[in-house]
Amino acid sequence: MKHLKGITFISLFVFLLLFLCIVFVSPANAADSENCLMCHKYRFLGRIDEQGRKRNYNVDEYIYNETVHRNVPCRDCHTSIQNLPHDPITEEVNCGNQCHIKPPFAKENFSHKAIIETYNKSVHGSKSTDSEELKAAKPYCKYCHLNPRYTKVDEERVASSTLQRCFNCHEEKGVTQAFKHITHRLRHKTSRSRQEIVELCSKNCHEDADKMRRFGVSNESIESVETYKRSIHGKAVSLGSEMTADCVSCHATSKIHDIYKKDEAASTVNKNNLKRTCQQCHLDVNAKFVQIDVHSGITSNEKPFLHFLEIQLGFVLYGSIFGLLGLALIETIGRKKDGIKWQIKDGTSWRGKSKRGF
Amino acid sequence: MSGRPVRLNHPKSVYIIGLIFKIITLTVIVTVFYHLTFSPHGPALLTPFKEKIEEKNRSLIMEEVKFLEEQEKHRHFHNIAEFPEMPEDMRPVCFICHSDYPHSKSKKVRALLNMHTQFFTCEACHIEDRSGIQTVYAWYNPMDSSPKGPFFGTSYDSETGNLAVVNDKFSKISAFFKKGGEFESTMQKQDAPLALDYVKIRDKLTPNERDNVKKKFHVNIKPKGHECKKCHDRNSILDFNKLGFSANRIVDLEQLNITGMITKYEMFYLPNLFKDE
Repeated sequence: MKHLKGITFISLFVFLLLFLCIVFVSPANAADSENCLMCHKYRFLGRIDEQGRKRNYNVDEYIYNETVHRNVPCRDCHTSIQNLPHDPITEEVNCGNQCHIKPPFAKENFSHKAIIETYNKSVHGSKSTDSEELKAAKPYCKYCHLNPRYTKVDEERVASSTLQRCFNCHEEKGVTQAFKHITHRLRHKTSRSRQEIVELCSKNCHEDADKMRRFGVSNESIESVETYKRSIHGKAVSLGSEMTADCVSCHATSKIHDIYKKDEAASTVNKNNLKRTCQQCHLDVNAKFVQIDVHSGITSNEKPFLHFLEIQLGFVLYGSIFGLLGLALIETIGRKKDGIKWQIKDGTSWRGKSKRGF
Repeated sequence: MSGRPVRLNHPKSVYIIGLIFKIITLTVIVTVFYHLTFSPHGPALLTPFKEKIEEKNRSLIMEEVKFLEEQEKHRHFHNIAEFPEMPEDMRPVCFICHSDYPHSKSKKVRALLNMHTQFFTCEACHIEDRSGIQTVYAWYNPMDSSPKGPFFGTSYDSETGNLAVVNDKFSKISAFFKKGGEFESTMQKQDAPLALDYVKIRDKLTPNERDNVKKKFHVNIKPKGHECKKCHDRNSILDFNKLGFSANRIVDLEQLNITGMITKYEMFYLPNLFKDE
């Protein structure tokens, strides 16, 4: 009888424990089966490290659940963590790891291996011949990517009505997530805006002419950001266009990471591939069209005619504006000398009697 | 023009058209001026002067701070969440020198200790007890004399299981001395006369003088805060119930996960957990 009571007590205790686990482990934290968010959900989980750098270890629960990695268990990426509570992490995440997510119709668990292979072959991939400085300067996965958050496709009406049709056969929750996963990538090559892409490539890297010079890149590449910004593409993007070419539009295929030097055959800006690259936006492309220099630096030495033309256009623009303003100014001074008062009211600009009697 | 009667009865539409033309003319002039002086698309005649002034005011430290902040965003990867910041002058006096990450010495637990700055004022853990006076804990919000809550961290969202989103983003638990029926705040605010005076003259003080003044701020402050079990226990010094925590949140804080974690930490780090803090 005593044993029975003991067993009942233990069973109740285990049941209660399981119940509490089920109740308190949120459905949103399904990927967090090891309850890492128990600590990491807090905003000020962090420190200032020995080098004076602020380290923030907070993972916002709400944001995380809106990201593409929301179903990936933490330790699928943070593999160096073997026990909890864990020591400070020194090992970087390897995005080529296989995680425990099996995509639909796939035989293997998911990994970014294919992208990394493409990236490693590209100009940005680390090569054995690279200097240590160059290796350190090359962008790695996290240099360009934050954990991508789902964004809605622009065509809201199409998106919602299409999704509605899916519900005729599929369960709402799963198919909504799958739908968002695919459609947020449908807008153009990347889910980021044109402006973000240009800033990403320029800032701290391609626009740093000294850095580029140290890595022995061509003059054309050193000036590439400046010349892009002067181009029609650059100007349109800087004015907010979402239809104009950014860096990735021309320098990569839909694989995004396959960026090569232009003399390499695989490069999208290699002269043999230019037609296909331009045709992504410009339907009527011919041999003459692809000769247009997109990154055109107009200097008197390299392109004297264009340089001359640019100066002439400047004269036309400023000459017209300042010519008109100058004429108005001369007219104003003349009239004032003549004794006529200038006013901006009652619909009359000039009032008074001319010294010349009319 | 002279001698002729001035016409004042123009129709309203004339004034509107005139105004539109004036706006267009002014816009063109301003745009051309910008194109000529600073725009990267024009000759940028005044840009060298602007750059010269910027170079004069350039701070390598500030540039590095900005650069590191940006790097941290990418190192972090998980999208650092934006939170509203309390106005600088509303923060406790501790923030003149310490940031939201004040704990740094104990490598094992500094991040965990810093985590608490979201919920507690510094005084809640570091105020010296006064003999014969009871220390009690209540919510404190410098922008609201009697915060009612609900407070962040006190309950879970029943749908998602995450900590519930609340409107009050700034209230923290603080220590008060109970004198009779009254609560006397232990907080040192930035608008206190000593703090205001210190901010005004700190750059003029020698390092020694500055140290002396800093000690004044720490007269009633103990360097070691409470041990975990003081709060994360059934016999917690915090009355979670009174502070508005929900039942399941209290269980979590007092018993389930935190206690388990502390036990694990005890194996490694206690009893010297706070020795070097």
